[in-house]
Amino acid sequence: MDKNSTLFKSVVSGIKKVAVVATVALASVALFACSSSSADNSSKKAEKDDGKLMTVTVYDDLANYQGLAKGWFAQYVQDKFNIKLKMVAPNVAGGGNTLFDTRTAAGNLGDLIITGTGHVNKLVKANLLTDMTPYLDGMKYIKKYDGATKAISDLADKKGTWGIASSVSSGSPTEASEGLEATTVPYIRWDLYKKIGYPTLNNTDDLLNALKEMQTEARKEEGKKDIYAISLFKDWDGASMQNAGQNLAFYGWEPTNYALAKGNGSKYESLIANNSQYVQGLEFLNKAQQMGLVDPESTTQNWDTMYAKYQAGKVLFSYWSFLGQGAYNTSANMAAGKGFELAPLKGMKVFSNGNMPDGNTTFIGIGSKAKNKARLVKFINWLYSPEGVQVQQAQSTGYSAGIKGLTWKMDGDQPVLTDFGKKALLEGGSVKMPAKYGSGTWKDGISTLNFVAVMQYDKDPTTGYKYGYVTWPSVLKINETKLSKDWSEHMGGATSTMDYLKKNNELLVAAGVSYTAPEDPATVATTRGSVQTQIVSSSWKMVMAKNDTEFKSLLTSMQKTVKGLGYDDVYKVDLKNSKAKNAARQKVIEQYKDEK
Amino acid sequence: MENVIDNQKESEALQQRRQQHDKAKRKRSRRMWLLIVPFLVLVVAFSYYPLFGWVYAFFDYEPPIPLRDSQFVGMQWFKMMVANSTQVRQLMQVLINTFAMSLLNIATSFFPLLFAIGLNEIRNKHFRNIIQTLTTLPNFISWVLVYSIAFAMFSTNGMVNDLLQNLNVIAAPIKFLDSDSLTWIKMLLWSTWKGLGWGSIIYLASISGIDQELYEAARVDGASRFQLIRYITIPALMPTFFVMLMLSVSNFLNNGMDQYFVFQNAFNQTHIQVLDLYVYNVGMGQNSLSYATAISMLKSLVSVALLWIVNIVSKKTRGASII
Amino acid sequence: MSNIEKNETTPGFKAFRVFNIIFFVLFTLICFYPFYYLIINSISANDLSADGLINWFPRKIHLENYVQVLQLSGLGTAALVSLGRTVIGTALTVIASSFLGYMFTREDMWHRKFWYRFVVVTMYFNAGMIPMFITMKNLGLTNTFWVYVLPAIVQPFNIILVKTYIESLPKSLEEAAALDGATTLQTFIHVILPSCTPILATVAIFSAVGQWNSFQDTLLYITDDKLYSLQYLLYQYINQASSLASMVRNGGGVAAVASAAQSQTPTSIRMTVSVVVVLPILFIYPMFQRYFTKGIMLGAVKG
Repeated sequence: MDKNSTLFKSVVSGIKKVAVVATVALASVALFACSSSSADNSSKKAEKDDGKLMTVTVYDDLANYQGLAKGWFAQYVQDKFNIKLKMVAPNVAGGGNTLFDTRTAAGNLGDLIITGTGHVNKLVKANLLTDMTPYLDGMKYIKKYDGATKAISDLADKKGTWGIASSVSSGSPTEASEGLEATTVPYIRWDLYKKIGYPTLNNTDDLLNALKEMQTEARKEEGKKDIYAISLFKDWDGASMQNAGQNLAFYGWEPTNYALAKGNGSKYESLIANNSQYVQGLEFLNKAQQMGLVDPESTTQNWDTMYAKYQAGKVLFSYWSFLGQGAYNTSANMAAGKGFELAPLKGMKVFSNGNMPDGNTTFIGIGSKAKNKARLVKFINWLYSPEGVQVQQAQSTGYSAGIKGLTWKMDGDQPVLTDFGKKALLEGGSVKMPAKYGSGTWKDGISTLNFVAVMQYDKDPTTGYKYGYVTWPSVLKINETKLSKDWSEHMGGATSTMDYLKKNNELLVAAGVSYTAPEDPATVATTRGSVQTQIVSSSWKMVMAKNDTEFKSLLTSMQKTVKGLGYDDVYKVDLKNSKAKNAARQKVIEQYKDEK
Repeated sequence: MENVIDNQKESEALQQRRQQHDKAKRKRSRRMWLLIVPFLVLVVAFSYYPLFGWVYAFFDYEPPIPLRDSQFVGMQWFKMMVANSTQVRQLMQVLINTFAMSLLNIATSFFPLLFAIGLNEIRNKHFRNIIQTLTTLPNFISWVLVYSIAFAMFSTNGMVNDLLQNLNVIAAPIKFLDSDSLTWIKMLLWSTWKGLGWGSIIYLASISGIDQELYEAARVDGASRFQLIRYITIPALMPTFFVMLMLSVSNFLNNGMDQYFVFQNAFNQTHIQVLDLYVYNVGMGQNSLSYATAISMLKSLVSVALLWIVNIVSKKTRGASII
Repeated sequence: MSNIEKNETTPGFKAFRVFNIIFFVLFTLICFYPFYYLIINSISANDLSADGLINWFPRKIHLENYVQVLQLSGLGTAALVSLGRTVIGTALTVIASSFLGYMFTREDMWHRKFWYRFVVVTMYFNAGMIPMFITMKNLGLTNTFWVYVLPAIVQPFNIILVKTYIESLPKSLEEAAALDGATTLQTFIHVILPSCTPILATVAIFSAVGQWNSFQDTLLYITDDKLYSLQYLLYQYINQASSLASMVRNGGGVAAVASAAQSQTPTSIRMTVSVVVVLPILFIYPMFQRYFTKGIMLGAVKG
């Protein structure tokens, strides 16, 4: 009793002390509450340009470089606009959304802003974007893509021209936006496929059997036992297991988180439903795993480790051209007839995004605190001009052809790469820039904006050919190899993956729309978080299941758990968004018909 | 009782003198306090003042919309943590993992102490310095890199499995990383390996502060080496050990997340998800600063409560509070 | 044979000593190996390293990774900033921790317990990222060097360590000083400080390593690249490498990856950066060590 009462006393005195501490804390908190509030200074009037050299801070969600831009592109922009670009790149800064959160909390995101269209509404509401309307006189190219500015305006509650969407296209929304390679199709090591005698692939089971033979062949040839047909990684898992979701695209499906939809809106299903396309994707990988085709390190490795395996020729199947071909199709390998090419899997109906006349879900706008706004509007206008697209969207391979007269020229009525251009664009880009264009190499000086204003497979009105030089007849000739010839011979003379798919009617083009899903209600967002953890981990377990029975029981338990967590609420939201996107697609198709 | 009687007996003059003395003492103690005021200002500025941020937990705050334009949602975020039975079950598992990891860490918190004593028994000074330096190295390697080393060693094609297979000890590779067996123990081993050398620094400092005369005297009395450790070194380290122990007890809920994040995969997730990792995993899909604030607020409050309880218990059992 | 030496040579103690040495040698090897692993991988061909082939010895040695890291622009400034914050930050923390640690042992201080708790309890608070940012902004500390130093001065953990240590010291010293009529500050400087060196060395190591390794504060509070810390610069560099890999997913196409493949892999960069960052610590660490070397050295000294 005595002991208890002293314990009680000390508890009470403890509470008292805590209360005092809390009071002091609260007093200091009170100071905080009366912190400054920002003034509303959205002036409708156009401001005069002082013409001076200025450093422009660019907040850029896409950039992979932070700091003052250097090299030939920076020089080009400075010569033309008297502007220096200072990049602020969340990708490089790290910390996820930290940079966006703190900068917006401080009331200035940047002078130029490149970010997702999902932010438009809030940025306008918080008065962080400039209305460009007063500056638009004579801005030919911004006006040319008025659909892309309207798409952004429609997202804000306040009237105004708040920005312009990226990746716009003047091509038909019902035509594929890809150039030579499709986004997601089955790529296999063609040289090994050749060795086993080009077996017919009627379905995914045939594909697995062929892969099994190829794996045996490769192991025999190389004398290594750590060659696997399939190697997976988890870095890109989000709402579901990313790798397993890739089979969706083979048959024209597109996921909106948990709502799966056919690209033409003809069918919808839930991701976790028995026998959904996603579950079939899991079955495919599980079958492969039971056949010993899946690298056992798949569950624990990351992208880097896996990529190195592709480079070393230890993986034989790839969902994407940028993985299989990017890692393994070096000029040396291709000359030797080795490399990844599209597998002639029958019955595919590959999902393809149509051209997006109104742009994609990234946009560029001007910050509310920026100076010389007229000049910044001119700069944005330039980004959408043919010259801007050629220069700003040039990389060290692929994409646009760069500066006319330096990297490319017209040969008669055809564009061709100059000798300098070949070094810059076909051979890695470590060529030194002529003094006139600033210092450094081509590769080091490319645009740090990493912004696609106009799709690279759009027609360049100044040349009559596409911006992307890989499609120029003169470049196609250079890129022909032993590998591509052999592949073409067995694919009915197709010149590229997209060519083959189009000829065989194996493409399902989903009309290109710029659709920004509304934000989740707060409660759904939290449920989504716990649902996705469960779905991702169960999916991996299912892929690694020892037999079909285990696979089924894991599926059942996953369905039960996520339903308990509130999956249905999340699915309802996703389905609604998916249907809204499809409605937007139908509208675009109608519109386009009318315009024609 | 005696005091009271004494007081009654005291003459007025004495009382006056005492009062004066008390006054001087109070003045002195105030002046002493003034000396630490600059530091207290720092504490207020950087620790208490930002606590205003806890109000975010009661709003639906999403930058860039300022707080004054955000919607007040009351206790919504707190309620959401226990929204349905499946979630509660999951949360329970997460708490079990958190407690297990914390208990294991507390149960092994005397390792650094033993490490320091053992190290101190090595006679060659240079040898000892080298050991001390090298054993702190793992502390400086980030968990991301620790994982890439773990992957090189323990993956199915890793060094250890290759070695064991070549020696014909095992037929099929052991799944060290992607199985759910002994997850807690494995995590404990990794954190011990990484932190043991570093954790012993505090005890090494305490050992060198021990009065050398104590040892001398004991030796002359014929105490053995073990007895020196048992009766001089360990008691001298106890106060530090208890403080460290109590701090880790009140830090029960905070396991950190980096370690568990890099080691987590589909197979060990059930047992590796500690509270910090769970919050991250759930938060990944939604990026809600308000929800995150609500959880960290709750954690702060629970931690302070734990500290306070531990303090009381310590006062009752040891007769000394830790803070 | 003296009494003392006899005590040293009991069979039990001999066995203990052998076991002790074996344990420490093994454990040291286990601890050192990963660092060795990082070094040999950072100087071996990056494709071999990414393939997991470098476990014992370096192969195809090259220094390209180090050249790349050392070529980062702004490296010199960043190194100075890091050095500055480490030296100044550590000095101030050591002063604050020792002084507060001592003051909190003084039972005659006005409401000592309350203020001690007032400070210590802050260890368990976490206001959150945005509130911290707004605080720094309101205090005018964003984009200043002081944002690195000021918030780190009062460290409750260090204060507890010092306080505990001082409490274990013999009271006689302090009492003697008090009898001599020394003021609080005099006692602190002439009596307490000299006898606290081991624990202050510990605090210094903790704080120096913390300052040297910290990059989160740069990310949050600094946009001026002249104030970037070394760690943040390197952290950016690592991110740049990884973001190239993830860029591919967003429709980058073959182009981006082809160029990423030629350059350093994110892992090779991470390893190189770790070695670069840890090396200075390895050189400075032994300087602090002499404060730990007193110990039970009698046997060794006499023998």
